[in-house]
Amino acid sequence: MTLNRRNLLKIGGAAAALPLLGTKAFAQSEPLKVGFMYIGTINDNGWNYAHNQGRLYLEEQLGDAVETTYVENVPEGPDSERVLRELAQSGHKLIFATSFGYGDYVIKVAEQFPDVTFEHATGYMRSANVGTYNARFHEGRAVCGTIAGHMSQTGKAGYIGSFPIPEVVMGINSFVLAARKINPDFTITPVYISTWNDPAKEADAARAMIDQGIDIIAQHTDGPAALQVAEERGIVGGFGQGADMSAFAPQAQLTSIIDNWGPHYVKTAQAVIDGTWESKDSWPGLAEGEVQIGPYGPKVPEDVIAAAEAVKNGQIDGSFNIFTGPINDHTGAEKVAAGVTLTDAELLSMDWYVEGVIPPA
Amino acid sequence: MMQFRLEKRREPSRFMLYATPVAAVALTMIIGAVIFSVIGYDGIGAVREIFLTPLTNSFKWQDLGVKAAPLIIIGVGLSIAYRANVWNIGAEGQYIMGGLAATWVALASHGAGGWWTLPAMMLAGMAGGAAYGAIPALLKTRLNVNEILTSLMLTYASVQLIYYLVRAPWKDPMGMGFPQTRRFASEALLPNIFPGTIVHAGVPIAIIVALIAWFIMSRSVFGYQMRVVGAAPHAARYGGFSENKTIWLAMLVSGGLAGLAGMLEVAGPFQRMVPGFPTNYGFTAIIVAFLGRLNPLGVIFAGIVMAITFVGGEVAQTTIGLSNSATGVFQAMMLFFLLAGDILVRYRLKRVVPQVEAGA
Repeated sequence: MTLNRRNLLKIGGAAAALPLLGTKAFAQSEPLKVGFMYIGTINDNGWNYAHNQGRLYLEEQLGDAVETTYVENVPEGPDSERVLRELAQSGHKLIFATSFGYGDYVIKVAEQFPDVTFEHATGYMRSANVGTYNARFHEGRAVCGTIAGHMSQTGKAGYIGSFPIPEVVMGINSFVLAARKINPDFTITPVYISTWNDPAKEADAARAMIDQGIDIIAQHTDGPAALQVAEERGIVGGFGQGADMSAFAPQAQLTSIIDNWGPHYVKTAQAVIDGTWESKDSWPGLAEGEVQIGPYGPKVPEDVIAAAEAVKNGQIDGSFNIFTGPINDHTGAEKVAAGVTLTDAELLSMDWYVEGVIPPA
Repeated sequence: MMQFRLEKRREPSRFMLYATPVAAVALTMIIGAVIFSVIGYDGIGAVREIFLTPLTNSFKWQDLGVKAAPLIIIGVGLSIAYRANVWNIGAEGQYIMGGLAATWVALASHGAGGWWTLPAMMLAGMAGGAAYGAIPALLKTRLNVNEILTSLMLTYASVQLIYYLVRAPWKDPMGMGFPQTRRFASEALLPNIFPGTIVHAGVPIAIIVALIAWFIMSRSVFGYQMRVVGAAPHAARYGGFSENKTIWLAMLVSGGLAGLAGMLEVAGPFQRMVPGFPTNYGFTAIIVAFLGRLNPLGVIFAGIVMAITFVGGEVAQTTIGLSNSATGVFQAMMLFFLLAGDILVRYRLKRVVPQVEAGA
């Protein structure tokens, strides 16, 4: 029998001396090397920052049992293939690839390293040693949309997206569905900037949309640039994405969607250590705590906070689902009948906008 | 106060001309080690991981080849253009158009391809890049518009064209709405040269392109024309070499080679067109061309040196946790020392004795 924490616990039961023994056994066994590949820098205060927080949480929780490495600013192309191979060759047995565009390369490199476990965030392709994981950000979007519906004066929001992929479309739809439950005339204009992180472009898009009369801004990109513009222009506000961004927009950030990847990283690493890991898709949300709602901004009145909390708690206890019909598409035709809820598979291939979205040209 | 001025040397030393790139790399390693040590990193470790590990670890050789190949091909084209004083800064755009033209062939022949698919893609790639290079050439020769501006700005237009194509007309029908083309059929993918590695046919092609270019530049009338027009435009005019013709040739050749690199990238490592296709090879190749002394053979070495810094930069991130920006610092230092060295090779620093001017 190999010595690891799990087996020792099995043998020892409640013996008081075990934690000591456990530590010792750990020091002797090889730590699991875990590699992380980020598309941006860990200082973006958003997406990559959140993943890196998850990595630090993993180190903190599993201590000497793991050793982590990260590589940042890896473009979504053949460069990512090289980095993945570099990580696999240098003894990393578990590798997290944290951007959508890494998919092809994860699958390719995973074939060459069957003894390495790969996990691809936001992807859809799996194989024997490749799993996928994501978070139900759209649940958080429903909370943001509720606040927007209550607080917007113009009834118009802008939404800065990267690419019109299902994950992003889902967030836009969730946001506007929630807002229209409060204000039936609410509309949202998505703008796609074809990158996950370009503060200049994000800010330009935010400015252009504010000039066109939106007073709420949401974004599915990595950093706080759009929020900073919202703060500067004094519009009603916006929402942090990935992490609490209130430091950049103390007034304008109404709340934030916080990605809490740490528990998933701990669970996955532990499964690899125990030899129980298997390829699957993991998609938890608010209920599991992988998506969290940050503190509410000073501008948000009590009654709006109460409404937002109700939407949040409804999604946590399962009594509320933003994608339950009736839902019309952006042309007004009924897409989901009353009482019917979209399945995960339908969500994951979502390529249509709900009513209230003004589709980009 | 001591004052200096630069005085042109009558005859730059040939030895120094070729020693400067080597010295620039060496200085980068030394100064880099010092700087990173001073700010609290393992400076010597950084230099070792960035410059040496990619060479000593045989696993990395394939990465060097794959990364260097497009840099060499584009760099060779640029070195020819720059020799003729034609400043094509938009190789990135020509690389993209070459990739797009090749993608068009791959998609149009999907399911009906054959042995001819790759050669057709190659021709399309070169034609696409050359056609995109022709726009600045036309504007320059007809309207005397600066080619630096037009070629650079056209790059941004080409990036938007990718976004448009992969989102609408060329979108992968099986891609669940993701903006990318379908994966190319096997006839449209570059074969691997060494089984079990990622070294594709583009790597030997890059070397062959450089050798051919070297031969042409040093042995043919075309090469002579490019060099003379660049070095002595007036003499060239008296000699009957048309300046406009040179501009056209320079833009078509550098654009065509950038397009070829685009085709090799999309049919090799990428295997489909994605929004992330532009990876700045076209811009990095500018450094490569100068580091290689605008000599196709030098470009081979310069391409490998740049590839080393890219691959090594990632090694340094995984092994000693050096930030990715450090790679950029090293690359920038290399170009800086090279250009500074160039000045000193061509000019000498001369002390100026201050003269008292009457009535000043």
